[in-house]
Amino acid sequence: MSDKKSDWKIHLIALIFVIIAESIGIRSYRLGPGNVLLLPMLYALVMGMILGGVSQKYKLPIITREDMDKASPYIGLSVMFLIAKVGTTIGPNIARVVAAGPALLLQELGNFGTILFAVPVAVLVLKVGRETIGAAFSISREGSLAIVADLYGLDSSEGKGVMGAYITGTLFGAIYNGLMVGFLVALGFFHPYALAMASGTGSASMMAAALGPIVAAYPEMATELTAFAGTSQILTSVTGLYMSLFVAIPFTEWLYKRLGGKDRTDADGLLPSAVMAAAEGGKQ
Amino acid sequence: MKFIHVLRIFLITGVLALVGNYFGFDINPIEALPGMLILLAIVVAGYLLSKAVPIKLPTIAYISAIAIIVSIPGVPGASYVTQYVGNVRFLALATPVLAYAGISIAKDLSSFKQQGAKVVVIALLTFTGTFIASAVIAQVVLNLMGTI
Repeated sequence: MSDKKSDWKIHLIALIFVIIAESIGIRSYRLGPGNVLLLPMLYALVMGMILGGVSQKYKLPIITREDMDKASPYIGLSVMFLIAKVGTTIGPNIARVVAAGPALLLQELGNFGTILFAVPVAVLVLKVGRETIGAAFSISREGSLAIVADLYGLDSSEGKGVMGAYITGTLFGAIYNGLMVGFLVALGFFHPYALAMASGTGSASMMAAALGPIVAAYPEMATELTAFAGTSQILTSVTGLYMSLFVAIPFTEWLYKRLGGKDRTDADGLLPSAVMAAAEGGKQ
Repeated sequence: MKFIHVLRIFLITGVLALVGNYFGFDINPIEALPGMLILLAIVVAGYLLSKAVPIKLPTIAYISAIAIIVSIPGVPGASYVTQYVGNVRFLALATPVLAYAGISIAKDLSSFKQQGAKVVVIALLTFTGTFIASAVIAQVVLNLMGTI
């Protein structure tokens, strides 16, 4: 019974967050050349982080560790409504989406941009070891965790990389995407269609955060923009796994070696190569 | 999780979104209810389908496929789907998701501290890289095709 009770507490807290966040509503602020758009979902996220952090620090029973574990699967379930909503905006626009087909399909290759941006900086500037492979081949969402866990193990250097990037994305992915895309919208260089297509990167919350400022700037195109983002998102969710396994990870490995990335390292430093060779042999 | 528990979470999420839809967009929950029930039906159908079909695809792939099909003009009932679901705003559906994410996040905060700032930088670079590269490709192709 106590189980049920603490579960209801989670939903009650979520309800309070939703009411506060939606009551504050969308706020837009000017920052340099760009508008920063603050959305209710971001307030809800931040309220949870603060309340959870404070509860943990002072051992308050508001949000316990158990509550956090329980709330985790609710993210994946509640996001399904968002997916359904996005789907219903694709149907009416299917003709337009089909016409934009080549652009939508080809921008899936944007995954190479992920690697080309992140790997050189990681290896040459930050001097990060094989954590780079895990962190830089994708935007490190749940699927990437599963792939790395399967290929390298989550306690390997690569696993630590993907875990760190996953947490970064969970904590800051939506905020960062909202700010970055708000900035790109204000620059005016990209057509809103192109921005909307780029928003579907495989994370529903990041897509929502990225799409927010685009739709807010071009409300008259809201349905097409949502449809493009949604279709791109679906393409990514369908192709993502195979793209990662057969293209992104091999390319990341190749680029990492090419740039002179360190061989297997541990969090404590370089392991003797003989040990690693033995470990490698043992694995195969 | 048993289906009955999953269904319960679906129902609670639906209520949260209706409340948010009211506070954020002034849409009366009664007015938004049909659209929410349609979304719920799509979600449940997609969820059950993903459990029943032996082909391993993510649940969201089934849900989005059903949602697209039932809203294509010409499909029986599609105009009702579009009309009613329109009363449930995208942003109102996103807020409950991040409310739950916020609640569950503090546990990752401590393990996050050990990862160091470098991985944060790499992760932010991947977000930037994937978005800008995709936008550039889309912009070029749309231009070549004369769409924009």
